[in-house]
Amino acid sequence: MPPAGIWIDGLIQSCIYMTMAFGMVLVFSILGILNWTHGQFYMLGAFVVYYAFTAVGIPFPVAMLIAGVVVGGLGMLVEKLIIERVNIPSAQGALYVTVATMALIFFFEGAASMLFGMQEKGLAMVFPGVLDLGSLSVSYQKIAVIIFTLIIMTAMYIMLNRTKVGLAIRAAAQEPDAARLYGISVKRTSLLVMGIGCALAAMAGSIMAPVYAINPFIGRIPMIMSLLAIIIGGLGSLTGAIVGGIILGFVNSVVAYRLSYFSEVVLFAFVIVLLLVRPQGLFGTPLK
Amino acid sequence: MKRWYNIATMVVITVMVLGVAWAPRPAHAEEPSIIKIGVPTAMSGPAAAWGQAGKAAYETWVEVFNKAGGFRVGDKTYHFQVIHVDDKNSPEGGAAAAKQLIYGEKVKFLAGHWTWNFPAIAAVSNPAKVIFMTRTGNEAVPGGVYNPKKMPYVVFANPSHEQFTSDCLAITKAFPKYKKIGILDCTLGKGIGWDYVDAALDKEGVRYHHEWFPVGTQDFAPYITRFAEAGCDIVYVAGWIGEAMAFAKQRWEMGYKDMRVGHSGPFITPLAYLGVCGKEAAQGFIGQYWACWDFKVTKVKRTYVKMCKEVMEILSEKQGKPFVYTGWIGWLPSHLLILSQAMEKAGTVDDPDAIMEAIRGGTFETTTGTWTMSGAETYGSPIVFGCPSALSTIKGDKEVYLSEYPMKPLP
Repeated sequence: MPPAGIWIDGLIQSCIYMTMAFGMVLVFSILGILNWTHGQFYMLGAFVVYYAFTAVGIPFPVAMLIAGVVVGGLGMLVEKLIIERVNIPSAQGALYVTVATMALIFFFEGAASMLFGMQEKGLAMVFPGVLDLGSLSVSYQKIAVIIFTLIIMTAMYIMLNRTKVGLAIRAAAQEPDAARLYGISVKRTSLLVMGIGCALAAMAGSIMAPVYAINPFIGRIPMIMSLLAIIIGGLGSLTGAIVGGIILGFVNSVVAYRLSYFSEVVLFAFVIVLLLVRPQGLFGTPLK
Repeated sequence: MKRWYNIATMVVITVMVLGVAWAPRPAHAEEPSIIKIGVPTAMSGPAAAWGQAGKAAYETWVEVFNKAGGFRVGDKTYHFQVIHVDDKNSPEGGAAAAKQLIYGEKVKFLAGHWTWNFPAIAAVSNPAKVIFMTRTGNEAVPGGVYNPKKMPYVVFANPSHEQFTSDCLAITKAFPKYKKIGILDCTLGKGIGWDYVDAALDKEGVRYHHEWFPVGTQDFAPYITRFAEAGCDIVYVAGWIGEAMAFAKQRWEMGYKDMRVGHSGPFITPLAYLGVCGKEAAQGFIGQYWACWDFKVTKVKRTYVKMCKEVMEILSEKQGKPFVYTGWIGWLPSHLLILSQAMEKAGTVDDPDAIMEAIRGGTFETTTGTWTMSGAETYGSPIVFGCPSALSTIKGDKEVYLSEYPMKPLP
């Protein structure tokens, strides 16, 4: 049985993959695209919170919100200026969007390298210290990640199920034509969802900034993991994104503890088997 | 009367012109000739922090070296000029950088190389008879791709792989009661190079345990736990800076505060480690140390110590705050000193075969000490330089000397 530290580590991983995957599925449900730049919005969120906290002196929770707003706004720009224009209603549209968002990966990484430099940055001074629980220690930063995830998921639930905006989003996801008939601007809703999805990635990057080092390349693995999470959970299912993130986080941590670097092989093999046996994932239902 | 006047005028003018033509010319100061050195290095990507940290220091050191007179071969004075090109720490980038330097910039020497693309660059430099001063490691180890017959213009001016063994011995010297050294590297580095290091560590009786992590790993909790369960009380990371920092931070937070951590590379600045790891977690962090003025065992020529200190002062003044990175001292300056001394011995700057002949088995005095090229049996050619294998540790917000275990010559 893995020690308690591995399970806590798995929980932290789950929180981040879940948040990232949720944002990706939101975007997919409305726009019908996989945003390959999702990881880079995670990275940009980390940099924005770093500079907001260290250079400007803004309190960390506020800096996180700013990161969400700024990067969410950037995401909306990307959708308006690039994705909307290349996402033509044909088979090639999806390919063009894939190529465009993949190109943006390198663009954002290169721009971040030039703007912020290559040297690792850290926010170890945010929530310093550990909680000693006998044979187990948990850093306050990791506890913050868990609290953040609970707040975000609750906020998302309330927004999607208890607000008009959420109703519009769900309507546009389920039946865009019918939604238009009811006066919902699907275009505007899509733009808003892109912003929300990117903001979620940015805030995930922000809350993880004190936990890990910050550099222009930290977005790649979270992107891949969130993609795996939505495949496990089911493309288009918000519940699936959450469950997929949870499964992935714990499996990744426990398998790495047991099998070291073979964890990657096992994880991807698991995903391939899942695709062969149940390609729609565990839930595989559209946005509800 | 007028005729005699005209003749006299013409004679005077002729004498003046001839006088100017035959007058001895004033002696001009001898203009030094420039030797261009190509430096393929990582200026982008995850390893770029080390590449970028060294660039200004290299350029300043070359200025100081040239100002001190450069070097002489025969009756001519030579100065160095360095040209940096980003090799992206990849085989494609390395080959492209080498081509740009050799065919674009027309360099005859590549030096200061430390990235992971030795085979790609050597494949371009050797056919062009360009002397390539690099490090051992990865494929450039016995049994790897290095072949002295096919690559006669390669010099292992930094024995990185052998240095890792010496680093481990320096660690055991600093902590004689150690239990086991954990060695952590990315799966990208997995290969015969590590078999070579493992054999050397076994021979020296060092107790160690290996772990590997996939590329891009940021969460090291599983590996920290595995090292702890294997009984490791010191973990020496062979990966990148960010990974080592993350490991140090996470092991502290998990409660393994007695587990020492280090990385096989120099500190860019201790402040970065404090910022990422946290002040407490960063204390005792171990790194490679190249501040030659602090060496306790290896002796470095005073002139070179002075030059290195001068570089540090110039850069501190330029950037308006102390320049603390010393990793640069062990690389390009040492390579250029080997090259200049070899050219002096060979009596030529143009003949790569003669220069390589002078390098093989030769003894050179550089910023890292005086070493004789060895490795005739191990590498098939005595082209491996030595190193002091000095280590430092973070104390407060500074880097201080820890230990030293000079490398033994290779068979």
